[in-house]
Amino acid sequence: MGKIGSDTKKYWEALKEVMDPEFPISVVDMGLIYDIEKNGDELHITMTYTAVSCACMEWIEQDIRHRLLQENEVQAVQINVVWDPPWTVDRLSPEGREKLKYWGVSSK
Amino acid sequence: MDPSTILKEKVQNGFIVEGLEDMNEEYLQALKQTLIIVGDTELLSIPPLLTVYDQAPTLNNKITALAIMQDEIGHAHIAYRLLKDLGQNIDDLLYKREPHRWKNPYAFDFELSNWIELGVFNAFFDRAGYTLLGDAFEYTSYGPWKRALVKVDKEELFHLRNGEVIMRTAMQDPELREEVQKAVDWMFLMALEFFGVEDRLKSRSAQLEYRLKGRTNDELRQKWLSTAVPFCESIGVKVPAHYDEQQQKYVLDVPFPCKFDPVNKKWLVDQPDTWDNVIKRFKQRGPHNKQFVERIQKGAKELEQLRKDAV
Repeated sequence: MGKIGSDTKKYWEALKEVMDPEFPISVVDMGLIYDIEKNGDELHITMTYTAVSCACMEWIEQDIRHRLLQENEVQAVQINVVWDPPWTVDRLSPEGREKLKYWGVSSK
Repeated sequence: MDPSTILKEKVQNGFIVEGLEDMNEEYLQALKQTLIIVGDTELLSIPPLLTVYDQAPTLNNKITALAIMQDEIGHAHIAYRLLKDLGQNIDDLLYKREPHRWKNPYAFDFELSNWIELGVFNAFFDRAGYTLLGDAFEYTSYGPWKRALVKVDKEELFHLRNGEVIMRTAMQDPELREEVQKAVDWMFLMALEFFGVEDRLKSRSAQLEYRLKGRTNDELRQKWLSTAVPFCESIGVKVPAHYDEQQQKYVLDVPFPCKFDPVNKKWLVDQPDTWDNVIKRFKQRGPHNKQFVERIQKGAKELEQLRKDAV
């Protein structure tokens, strides 16, 4: 998880409601979100995916936009996908790790 | 006490069957029958999906659809692999069985008309799979199957959510909105048929007695309705069912079962039908049953011919 400013904390919380399409683990707990910046009424999200071949990139981005635009003060959401640093299992939150373990998926 | 009663009591009390040595012939037959239905359903879901996958609106949508089909092949593999351990000849089952003997749902014997139907297919039919396999995961007395279902359960959830995304997005476009309604109109009752004959018409069920599954057909149908109906209502799609406060359950607003016109993919809701006739319709198969099964068998048959020619 990147740096969390007090003005963006609520958006990190909001994104905890956006789930990975397969496992009921949020994009935040998956470690996909690198940074959230607020610029006026616009949010800038920097994020990655677990793989460049991820089959659900557009789907996840749509869910992220949909959720963040529910916040009254947010008029636009810009998503910037980066591959550096690459995603590894080390980015999973302890909560995400526990959930994967419950479903029989190794996070080591 | 006869041995079958003892086994039934044991599994009802939580005994997990691990291998052939734990079961009797009746259990084995019920288990094999169940796994064949599951394997066939997973595998034969792919030909209808393939009929429209090249209509995906974006490349990433297409990759999602392909990922789903890959999952389904994996799920079919699990079921057939379990059958192999039970002594079934899988090559015969897959490549020598006549199309009309496959046990996939009637709903999968149809080509899809457009991308929206693929979405409704995922949202309705994969939801039916999720409901049925979720129940097996929770209750089944067959250990090897229960353990394999952890992964299947999550993947089916992914499929049905993909269907919901496609439907929800399409509902925002006036033209596509009509396509969603049209697809729902034939696929809703089709999904309800997945759960089979009404409980009151069944004298006994080996699947339930041996705890291969936990819930009855009607209970599973209610479970499907309890998520499908609120979802459709939330996006503004009309469905022929509603929650009845008095009866504390979902009730249908059309006769069920009723007659179906397979050429126009249309329910004849003014013509109620019997489950006996529905079973007859299932056995007669839908319009693309032969073509779809032949597609699955084509490669194996060609390879076999090549081998013969080479000798």
